[in-house]
Amino acid sequence: MSKQADLFKQGTLELLILRLLSSGSLNGWDIMQRIQIVSGEVLSVTPGALYPALHGLEARGFISAVWRPSENNRKAKFYGLTTRGRKQLETQRKEWERFSDAVALVLRDA
Amino acid sequence: MNLGDLLRRWRALTDKDELEQQLDDELRFHLEQDIQQNIRNGMSPYEARLAALKAFGGVDQSKEECRDARGVSFVDNILKDFSYSLRVLLKSRGFALVVVLTLGLGIGANTAIFSFANGILLRPLPYPQSERLAELQETALKRGIDFMSVSYPNFLDWRQQNSVFEDIALHFGTNRFALSGFGEPVEIRGSRISQGLFEVLRVQPILGRTFTADEDRPDQDGVVILGYDLWQRSFGADPNIVGRNIMISSRSRTVVGVMPRGFRFPEVSELWIPLALTPQMFTRTDHGLTAIARLKDGVSFNQAQAEMNNIAARIEQENPVTNEGLGVKVTSLHENLSGDYREALLILLGVVGCVLLVACVNVANLLVARATARQKEFALRAALGAGRWRIIRQLLIESLILATAGGFLGLAVSVWALRLLLTAIPIQLPFWMNFGVDLRVLGFTVAITLITAFLFGAVPALQSSRVDLNDTLKEGGRGTSGIRSRSRNLLVVTEIALSLILLVGAGLMIQSFLRLRRVNIGLNPKNVLTATLILPRAKYREDDQQAAFFKQLLERVSALPGVQAAGVTATLPLSGGGWGRSLTVEGFPVLSVGQAPIIQHTVVSPNYFHTMGIRLLSGRDFTYADAKGSQPVTIIDERLAREYWLNSNPVGKRIRFGPPEDNEPWHTIIGVVNSVRHQTMQGDTRKSVYLPYFQIPVNGVSLVARSDSEPRELIGGIRREVAQLDPNQPVSEILTMEEVVAESIWQPRLYATLFAVFAGGTLILALIGIYGVMAFLVLTRTHEIGVRMALGATARDVFKLIVGRGMKLTAIGVLLGVGGAAALTRLMHSLLFNTSATDPVTFILISLLLSLAAFLACYIPARRASKVDPLVALRYQ
Repeated sequence: MSKQADLFKQGTLELLILRLLSSGSLNGWDIMQRIQIVSGEVLSVTPGALYPALHGLEARGFISAVWRPSENNRKAKFYGLTTRGRKQLETQRKEWERFSDAVALVLRDA
Repeated sequence: MNLGDLLRRWRALTDKDELEQQLDDELRFHLEQDIQQNIRNGMSPYEARLAALKAFGGVDQSKEECRDARGVSFVDNILKDFSYSLRVLLKSRGFALVVVLTLGLGIGANTAIFSFANGILLRPLPYPQSERLAELQETALKRGIDFMSVSYPNFLDWRQQNSVFEDIALHFGTNRFALSGFGEPVEIRGSRISQGLFEVLRVQPILGRTFTADEDRPDQDGVVILGYDLWQRSFGADPNIVGRNIMISSRSRTVVGVMPRGFRFPEVSELWIPLALTPQMFTRTDHGLTAIARLKDGVSFNQAQAEMNNIAARIEQENPVTNEGLGVKVTSLHENLSGDYREALLILLGVVGCVLLVACVNVANLLVARATARQKEFALRAALGAGRWRIIRQLLIESLILATAGGFLGLAVSVWALRLLLTAIPIQLPFWMNFGVDLRVLGFTVAITLITAFLFGAVPALQSSRVDLNDTLKEGGRGTSGIRSRSRNLLVVTEIALSLILLVGAGLMIQSFLRLRRVNIGLNPKNVLTATLILPRAKYREDDQQAAFFKQLLERVSALPGVQAAGVTATLPLSGGGWGRSLTVEGFPVLSVGQAPIIQHTVVSPNYFHTMGIRLLSGRDFTYADAKGSQPVTIIDERLAREYWLNSNPVGKRIRFGPPEDNEPWHTIIGVVNSVRHQTMQGDTRKSVYLPYFQIPVNGVSLVARSDSEPRELIGGIRREVAQLDPNQPVSEILTMEEVVAESIWQPRLYATLFAVFAGGTLILALIGIYGVMAFLVLTRTHEIGVRMALGATARDVFKLIVGRGMKLTAIGVLLGVGGAAALTRLMHSLLFNTSATDPVTFILISLLLSLAAFLACYIPARRASKVDPLVALRYQ
């Protein structure tokens, strides 16, 4: 778990959160589940990393939260992307792609 | 940061409870989702909950990190830390009180001494661009004279030939003038000044004008300028004062101007008349004037000095007889004025800084001890998610609160201490000294408060934050780590060393002061009253009139009940008065002005020696028959007699004064008296001669009268007799001779007192420090001591163990302190009188004294340790 947290740098986790929220608002638990499922169980995130990241994104105005009932009718905090968050997602995604392309290039040609 | 951010942050601060609640709800929702999923996967509710909690990790730590991520938590946390620290400190009020008092006294003493240094050394003189003001002095380096006052013709040459000063002006020191015609005659301190002095200082009158060049000539000088206070006090702030005639020392003068409020110059003068000198009246060999100049823009002090050197060399070439070996010295006016105090103030600042340092060490000691007791609290907080930095920060905030309280107390203490110190200064403070609390003083206090907080807070904070959660929580609070006790030992050693340095310094100062007080002045000050009378020349123009006045006065005062004897002198011993003249002795080679010996020279009446208790060693005293027209006579002192007539009787020999080519009359020696300290207690006694007052009368004298008992009882009678002779004649500076003696050494007395107070305070702090460390040692090692005793150690062994530990620290501290003192007391060399800065007796005595005191401070804890009951001790915890 701790190894994964190390690999899971703050920026990467934020990028994943922004990407997940771009298709609709989700609560913290949902986000955790989806990261695990979508990544094919490769990536997992702990609450201790997730919630501070969410609160940080909220504080910087990239996401906003509303309280509404969840599927099982309990009150939950749902996060959604703001306009600024959408822009941020675009920038971060481009950066990530440039970075991973570069890594791929090196791995292929070096 | 945009408006939305600000709003959010503001909300985070204000709606804290709501946000906390939401954070709680959010995380609980997450846990419950997990639990439900676990149940769906087939776990029992109990297992499901446990598994969820385990998967979640530290809930409180996550919360803390969420708060951090919100960004506001920094301010929020600091506020929280503040209120937490305040609560903690209020809970341990005794501890807080001791710390605040210690710091308050330390900071207060520092602020008070700094106010002094600020008022004397740092505050600029109260004139526009005062840093450009210079004082010019003459030097005669070949004769070993670093500086002397200026002669009028030399000044005229400087003024005419230089290109570095805007202007140069003169004053004649501070004199007394009688202001009469408005009820009781009053004495005013005033100065004769040359035209241009106010322009050099750049101070303009608020009414009227300054002196013109024409008014600076004899017979055209019937004008006067008044100081603001004088104008208010004696003339009811009359707006039409300019143009009025007033009586100054029995001469009518026209008021031409009034100077602004607060302006006094030089020193305390508040009335100015023209200098009105001519080179004939005041020749090149008469030195007595003070020259003030203002540098031209862009000219440095060095450039000015270089040019003045050339000018002095030119004057010497043109006047080889009078100006042989004379030079000019250009110094900053402010440095010149403050020079006398600079060294003492800097040393005192160092001393008082040491006191604060020891206070900090003590507080740090207390904090370390307290931190040990609080280990569990810190461990608990760390377990609840507080990071190391958070704990350090909280401890530093505690220190800051303590230091700030100490700082406020210190300011109050300093105001009080300053007032106390000022009462110890018997002189009227010169115009340019101002000890008020200004921004610089406040800044200093704030700065030392912050430094203090850091000094005493940093070590304990860093140490306390290094907690091992498991060990501390399990151990139940016992156990001191080796690092911690090592740093406490270091603190004790520092304290001992610093207090030894201060004690040695104080010991030297006190010894020096006591030696100074035992100096043989050459007279008996007990029961002698002194008073100053200056007859206005305008009224008593002739010598005969002056002599007649004082002859009558002496007859009347001598006849007063209780008066044993009375006399007058032109210069009172120890008041720095008297004037030097070159001496020529009959039968010895005649030397030129530049080489002839300089002797102290004054005039006294018959009975003066008897009144003052100065012994006549041979020959006779002056009589009223030694008057004008009779054979010129003189009485010389022992030192002069020994130099020229070691094996013969000087009575009957002849001497004369002034430049040899002046051919002044020979004076026959009629008596020899013991030497008297005319200048200061510290300085050497210059060889002196006395001339009979009634042969060479002067208009200003000190009247001295010896009483049967309390001399102050003579004041009324003397005033009455003066008033009967001349109702317009003021009597001033009525002091007993013992007061004159005490005043002449007020500086050494003040320094010695301050040293003693600071060193004493440091000693007490250091002893509390040693006691604290030893007591704490015994407390934390009770268990170990119990084991030792159970294994056969005697009470004596335990006692020796504890005392040995304390004395080892003391010995190291004393050694370091002796080294430090040897290096540092050298700096105070100039403050010491007849006392070596490395006086071995002082060093040894102080070291022994300090060791003894340290032993006593260890004794009580050691006794307690030796009485430990092994059974109780082993059960302890």
